Amino acid sequence: MKRFSQTFAVLALVMFAGAFGPAAAQDSMLALRGAMIHTLVDGEGPIENGVIVLRGNRIAIVGGPDTEIPRGAEVIDVSGQHLYPGFFDSVTRIGLTEIGQVPVTSDFRELGDSNPHLEAATAVHPASEIIPVTRANGVTHAVAAPQGAGIAGQGSLIHLDGWTVEEMFVSNLYMVVQWPNLQTRGFDRSTFTAFNRSFAEAKEEYDTAIANLESLLDDARRYRASDANSDPTQRNFKLEALGPVLAGEQPMLITANAERAIRDVIAFGERNEVSVVIAGGREAWRIADEVAASGVPLIIGATQSLPSREDDPYDAPYAAPAKLHAAGVKFAISTYNASSARTLPYEAGTAVPYGLPYDEALKAITRYPAEILGVGDQIGTLSRGMVANLLIADGDPLDIATQVTHVVIQGRLIDPYDNKHDNSYEKYRGRPQR
Amino acid sequence: MRLTSRGVAVATLAVALLLGNATSAAGQAPPPYFAITGARIVTGAGDTIDNGTIVVRDGIIESISAGGSVPDGAWELDGAGMTAYPGLIEAWSSLGVPSNRRAAQGGGGRRGGGGPGGGGGEQADHSWGPQDRPATFTWVSAADELDPEDSRLERARQAGFTTAISAPTLGLFPGQAAVVNLAGDRPNDMVVATPVALNVTFTKGRQFPGFPNSSMGVIAYVKQLFLDAQHYDAAWSVYDTSPSGRERPDYDRALEPMRAAVRDDWPVLMPGDMAKEMRRTMRLAREVGIRPIIYGAREAYAPGMAEELASTGVPVLVNLDWPAKQSDGDPEAEEALATLRFRHWAPSSPAALAEAGATFAFYSGSGNAGDAIRGARKAIAAGLDPDDALRGFTLGPAEIFGVDDRLGSLEEGKIANIVLADGDLFAPGTTIRTTIVDGYRFAHEAPDEDREAPAAATFEAVTMAAPLGPARSDAATVIRNATIITASDAGTIENGSVLVRDGRIAAIGTDVDVPAGAHVIDAEGRFVTPGIIDAHSHIAAESINEGSVSVSSMVGIEDVIDPYDIAIYRGLAGGVTTANVLHGSANPIGGKNAVIKLRWGQDAAGLLLQGAPAGIKFALGENTKRDRNPDRYPNSRMGVEDVIRQAFLEAQAYQAEGRRYEQALADGVEGVIPPRRDLKLEALAEILEGTRLVHSHSYRADEILQLLRTAEEFGFQIATLQHVLEGYRVADEIAAHGAGASTFSDWWAYKVEAYEAIPHNAALMTERGVRVSINSDSGEEMRHLNQEAAKTIKWGGADRDAALAMVTINPAIQLGIGDRTGSIEVGKDADLVLWTNDPLSVYGRVDATMIDGVLWFEREHDARIRTERAAEKARLMELDAASGETGGGRRRPTSDNASDQEINR
Repeated sequence: MKRFSQTFAVLALVMFAGAFGPAAAQDSMLALRGAMIHTLVDGEGPIENGVIVLRGNRIAIVGGPDTEIPRGAEVIDVSGQHLYPGFFDSVTRIGLTEIGQVPVTSDFRELGDSNPHLEAATAVHPASEIIPVTRANGVTHAVAAPQGAGIAGQGSLIHLDGWTVEEMFVSNLYMVVQWPNLQTRGFDRSTFTAFNRSFAEAKEEYDTAIANLESLLDDARRYRASDANSDPTQRNFKLEALGPVLAGEQPMLITANAERAIRDVIAFGERNEVSVVIAGGREAWRIADEVAASGVPLIIGATQSLPSREDDPYDAPYAAPAKLHAAGVKFAISTYNASSARTLPYEAGTAVPYGLPYDEALKAITRYPAEILGVGDQIGTLSRGMVANLLIADGDPLDIATQVTHVVIQGRLIDPYDNKHDNSYEKYRGRPQR
Repeated sequence: MRLTSRGVAVATLAVALLLGNATSAAGQAPPPYFAITGARIVTGAGDTIDNGTIVVRDGIIESISAGGSVPDGAWELDGAGMTAYPGLIEAWSSLGVPSNRRAAQGGGGRRGGGGPGGGGGEQADHSWGPQDRPATFTWVSAADELDPEDSRLERARQAGFTTAISAPTLGLFPGQAAVVNLAGDRPNDMVVATPVALNVTFTKGRQFPGFPNSSMGVIAYVKQLFLDAQHYDAAWSVYDTSPSGRERPDYDRALEPMRAAVRDDWPVLMPGDMAKEMRRTMRLAREVGIRPIIYGAREAYAPGMAEELASTGVPVLVNLDWPAKQSDGDPEAEEALATLRFRHWAPSSPAALAEAGATFAFYSGSGNAGDAIRGARKAIAAGLDPDDALRGFTLGPAEIFGVDDRLGSLEEGKIANIVLADGDLFAPGTTIRTTIVDGYRFAHEAPDEDREAPAAATFEAVTMAAPLGPARSDAATVIRNATIITASDAGTIENGSVLVRDGRIAAIGTDVDVPAGAHVIDAEGRFVTPGIIDAHSHIAAESINEGSVSVSSMVGIEDVIDPYDIAIYRGLAGGVTTANVLHGSANPIGGKNAVIKLRWGQDAAGLLLQGAPAGIKFALGENTKRDRNPDRYPNSRMGVEDVIRQAFLEAQAYQAEGRRYEQALADGVEGVIPPRRDLKLEALAEILEGTRLVHSHSYRADEILQLLRTAEEFGFQIATLQHVLEGYRVADEIAAHGAGASTFSDWWAYKVEAYEAIPHNAALMTERGVRVSINSDSGEEMRHLNQEAAKTIKWGGADRDAALAMVTINPAIQLGIGDRTGSIEVGKDADLVLWTNDPLSVYGRVDATMIDGVLWFEREHDARIRTERAAEKARLMELDAASGETGGGRRRPTSDNASDQEINR
């Protein structure tokens, strides 16, 4: 699906308002009035009784109670509510899978370990029931990301609303790389057999995998320097797809959880002069200072997970965001899931009682993922010109009992309750008493 | 060593007889008549004689004396510079029993006596239950399997071993052990005593597919076989007493030899390496009334373990193959403190056993008897008295196996099994120079002169961090100024106090007296709730599924509790005080569950919530019917229902049999044989009698209804429907039946039958009159069940009290323990959680968790032990690095059932 890549190119080169995906009805105008507006813009506190005006898929005005609402705007009174940038789940399988245990409903994994040219958006199913269920809790956009050995493909940023995937698609934000595992003993789920080998053997395999990755980058570099892509007999989709990575326009999102892997990924990025984002980073808190010094950002996996080592503090994953923040690591939080992506705010909120400042938790699922992935000037905060993805809730949206009352995606107001779950609830609630 | 002859001129004869290979001659020559002179004699019976003489005649020790002279006609073996010891005994081995040939050929012990079956030692038939008796060979006797050509014998003799307790090893009941001497021309020459014990292992081997395929299945299997042996023995005893007019019981070759074990004539060799395993074995032995000898015992150093062994009089055979670091492992891999501790402290087990006065003996474990002395040396460095070490190789095993009247020490009249060493047996560099078995002498080559003696073993008693256990324990505790959410009619009490005394809640209110000496916790700004109760968990269990069969009600989680699973502590830190540890969902009728309190640091018995009603797991739908190899009925929801109905029909017949027996007793009929106790049907009969709660995994509305109707057909009630993700569609029917529902907060779409799940399920079922709990089914999710409960407020609009009830009083009532725990009410167990913030929010964090009035988790304590444990670990790692020792030793067994859990949802 070449058109997805082209969209990215437009975004990368032009970066002007309006290039951020296909617009909603350009002339529509929506004004939301009365909410406490949390813009998440640096230096701006919440705006009480604020007004936000959306034009097309962009934010036109953000202001206080006295803001003049342009004529023709549909005005919705959201007094007493809180308005935030929509949540951004930056590594997911949304749209790429429907039912976990039914492989035919899954499209996130391709065979082979060298698939840089595959784009997740190709396989995003816009009618997935998971999409409305997810946005009902304020998640307005997400990256659908492939998975698999080696280079798995490109993660596509999508709005969680659209009649077609073209309406949902924004751009391919990163190249997904699964860092090799260095394991002497374990269980290979692909062959369903236990393995037990020496460290030397495992290390050799590990080093080879990394060397292969680097040699692919070398090939892509040579390819880029040539004019092969204009000659169909020479053209190579895989090498071509690595162009944006080599140009520094697209980061590699490299899955690395173990301490060693994190170190090696950082070194890999430096050695190959590619921009790297660490995915998972479960043990990054152990070497938070090193990670901070490298400047490599992180998209950490679920906070609500188990410590990776038996002797780890019981709260290691809960406290990890606070430790990373204290060390100065830039990070976002993501669910790495599909059906559970609606729990994104709780993954962030859980870090708060373990020391992460509240604002940082909020930004870790709104502003920071956008900044880390190079679209922070487009989405993630509420100010003029930004993409109009936002949520309105009756309280703190990181807390559980809070209700999300409205969701806006690309300037369109969406009924969060129109989803498989709420519909089913209403239906069976209406079942006559037996 | 200088050899001289006296009275006989032809010295060469002596050389031939004494130095020659005694077993190579055609036909066995009689053992020589000789005297060992000038040796230091350590009799092993308490005496040491410097410069003594041992006279050996006809393979028997004729005399031992200080000084002493060589009798006429005897050869002299100059023992100057040598120390004579009793021949060493390998206390558990397969020496001389090379390959389990017979067993493999004989097939399994299929019930009814077993036929040739099995075939050729290849793969046995797939077994479908204990009745098939796979891997049972009780009739095989080591004494009948001996092979004097076993190459390990010579290696053992070189290491000073003259005797072994040898047993067949194939399967769960490999056969009968014998005391054998480690030399002989013919197998029969070797046997000293047989049989001396029944050998039991807990490792079935790959040759026997099917049941049992889990550790709890193994235990159920072992239990059932002993119960069968008891029944068999009773039946034959009755028959033999009055055969006239009585039906003759079936002969059963597997059970016949076991009669001796269940009558306590023989002990039973059973495994038990780690403390939890030893306790498990002792419990099993008590249950079936047998006398165990435990082999393994490398964690006998664990607190209280050696004392427990001593006080119960259970002998242990200590495996001297100490755990070692993996030789080719990842140098950066961090090992767990528990692993490092095991490796460091295992060699101190014998000292702990000796100190406690336990009965013990040694075996090499590695299969190479020669390693044993090296292992003992480490044990001595770790505090074992060398005399006790010697005893562990000599009189110790002889006594345990009842042959101390003929073996185990150098005493007149005993078998001439003697070892001559060129120094102290346990000193580094000492070599065994001569081994005498049954009076036959085996000389060994002198060691290389300039060989370096191995370094002496060292041991440092590294300071251990505080043992796993409570943060603090007070007779009385008052928590005051808290917002108390009681989960009872009292609702929420602002600025409230709770008085806890002797493990119970003694008072609640805004004004509570503080008894003198009470521990006072000022909880201003904080919240108190009842302890969280997780109605569906798989933590702290070493196996989850016995999925080989469709009905596995004979197995129980209680048999495989792992009290040291770190998940327990992590759960505590999430406010969980009680967990319902369930069998998995591999089969329509699964195993028995265990309700535990998370008393971290207690042993398995200490975790069990005594008095909690018994329960069992059922399962419906996808997990039970998925394709298996070989095919296993059921393969459809029709079949699932059928399996359950058939099982209960069988259980009714079992009940009827029991009633007939009771009636016969009541009628005074003489010599009635009690019915065979069947663990599988017994559990089902308990369900019919209403004494065992059914917790059934379920998803779809149709299968839920189907199960309720089946239960109604057989006259019992389903206690809880677990998962029950489509419960909202048949909530009225669930309420009418009276079943509870225990569900997830918001998981869905992970499989087809979870695709119709909605997060409003809990609230909607509650609205329709069902008692609902929220469970975790996960070691992670259980750490924030408070948050999961709060989701019922968001989805479906439950009120706060109803939400909290779903993880406290509701699961308590569902588990039949609602009168004891689950809410904050006077008289109940003091199971409480102190939260920093509103627990029904994402910001509630646990400050302390109390069970029965004891603070099992407390944040400050956690911080303190982290530091202590880190220091201990650092020291252990230093010692580890300094020793540089590696080997293939068994790693500390850990339970990892994470993958199991995934499958069980």
